[in-house]
Amino acid sequence: MFKIKDNRAWLGVLPVVLIVSFSGVVPLMAVINYSVQDILDFNTRFFVGFQWYQETLQDPRFIEAFLRQVAFSLSVLLIEVPLGILIARGIPRDGWLTSVLLILLAIPLLIPWNVVGTIWQLFARSDIGLLGVTLNQMGFSFNYTVNPVDAWLTVLAMDVWHWTSLVALLTFAGLSSVPNAYYQAAKLDGASDWQVFRYIQLPRLRSVLIIAVLLRLIDSFMIYTETFVLTGGGPGNTTTFLSQHLATIAVGQFDLGPAAAFSVIYFLFTLLFCWIFYASITANHD
Amino acid sequence: MTSIQIEELQFQYPSANDPALKTTSFKIENGEAFALLGASGAGKTTLLNLLSGLLEPTSGSVKFDNETVNRVSGGDRNIAQVFQFPVLYEALTVQENLEFPLKARKFNSAFINERIKNIMNHFEMENLRNRRIGELSLFQKQLVSIGKSLVRPNLSAVLLDEPLTAVEPRMKWKLRNTLRQIQKEEELTMIYVTHDQTEALTFANRVAVMDQGHILQIATPDTIYRQPDHKFVGSFIGNPGMNFVSATFIRSTTPDTGGTKEIGFRPEWAVLNSGQPGDLSGQVKTTHLTGTTLGEPIGITWVSTNAGEIAIKGVLNHHPKEQVEIHLKQYLTFHNNKRLVANSDV
Repeated sequence: MFKIKDNRAWLGVLPVVLIVSFSGVVPLMAVINYSVQDILDFNTRFFVGFQWYQETLQDPRFIEAFLRQVAFSLSVLLIEVPLGILIARGIPRDGWLTSVLLILLAIPLLIPWNVVGTIWQLFARSDIGLLGVTLNQMGFSFNYTVNPVDAWLTVLAMDVWHWTSLVALLTFAGLSSVPNAYYQAAKLDGASDWQVFRYIQLPRLRSVLIIAVLLRLIDSFMIYTETFVLTGGGPGNTTTFLSQHLATIAVGQFDLGPAAAFSVIYFLFTLLFCWIFYASITANHD
Repeated sequence: MTSIQIEELQFQYPSANDPALKTTSFKIENGEAFALLGASGAGKTTLLNLLSGLLEPTSGSVKFDNETVNRVSGGDRNIAQVFQFPVLYEALTVQENLEFPLKARKFNSAFINERIKNIMNHFEMENLRNRRIGELSLFQKQLVSIGKSLVRPNLSAVLLDEPLTAVEPRMKWKLRNTLRQIQKEEELTMIYVTHDQTEALTFANRVAVMDQGHILQIATPDTIYRQPDHKFVGSFIGNPGMNFVSATFIRSTTPDTGGTKEIGFRPEWAVLNSGQPGDLSGQVKTTHLTGTTLGEPIGITWVSTNAGEIAIKGVLNHHPKEQVEIHLKQYLTFHNNKRLVANSDV
């Protein structure tokens, strides 16, 4: 059969190819290129193979930052996902209150990261901040600039404040796909509230929750601005997460080779974590 | 196992101008198969929701065995409901779904097994026992849904909201018969909502025909068909519905108060010929073959008359464009859409 061949359609794809390569592929290649070189200055560089990778993986400060990062991301997920679901279940299905609550929930999501950091930096200060002063007045000795536990709690509280809404809104959207008849039938069956959640809502929330968990995992793994503004990674290094450690190496010390190796490892870890999560959530259902 | 009494019941949605259910009173007997028939938007579902406790009456009351249950929730009324589409716990197996309402009410396991076995036998779904809901066909799901609603013992009533909509026609008969059998066996009060006249007329002891929030007639299927109280009932029931021809009173035991006067007759209550002058005359428009009796083609003949288009059911022996005479064997008289009970000559 005679077939007209016209490859001009490929031109339509060209803009996407260009954008993706300039925004993704080219920078990534540059970083990989840097990661195998020792760069002294612009014209003096040596090929060092996987030396930076080895050094990074053996660096105790990297390992500590990594463990902190994992602890932080898991805590954030453990708090935000159940809390978000709880909030979403409390939102009425329709009525004026629904819109009011949805708007209120969306507000934290609209605030820029560094503003969130600043808000909590002021809010939690033990000398003038509403939260810090109140806690101290109540007899707790609270100071996030000195006490690592206080610093962690503040960072967690900030992240929960900032991002629980995301989980809540996604869950609410998922819940509104449950037809009313299901609740009615459950009522007639004599199902308890927990059973309604477990057997009616949760199965329908599966895909929405996978998205919520992945988004929160990726995002919390990359946290930088908020903690940088709030604690600067301190006291000591107790709230220094991966991004901030990376920034110190790359921008602070200007060690481009190790920073590039760090970045690649960081990237692979994020990818790995997301894959593990996605695979484990979706595995036992098919 | 409960009689349901509806007294002066009326319901209006808060934002609506008109009541969705106009004031009505009637009684559904203990162990009765009762059907609510009407087009969509007639108020059937509103009435059903009032019976199930999902809606609270604007005025009047719903009584179960003489006890007012206006504010009692559906769970406490001990009713079961089947919906238009299958409503099941999708992550559970068929058996777990059937057990659910019994376990929630803490029956002992011997009793639960007994009930489930019984239901599975009725609906022939023993082979589905350990399947997950997601693996079932739509028909099987609806089967399990119906089974789940009937599994509880001593139900006061079972409400079925167009339960066979999702079921293919071939299986409708079978499923309806199964329902009817269980209804009889357990002496269940069953209320069956549908827009399908065949379903209603073949299922129920009595049928309530609804239109625009009014219950127009409650009677046995036979009476509904032969003696519709209202013009709407006549035209809604039957395929095609009753023919109506406007008329005037000649002699009447009731005084002529004006308004529309009509006679109505079912398509099979008249015969056609082309000889003697009949009650109406007209020209055959189309014919529609539906089958044969004793080798003769039977079907519907549509006749254009000066009183409008008339459908006649019977032997097809007239051709389109042919001039015919219509002879009425039987008819009913209607005044302002209502059937006149007292005899009148029209």
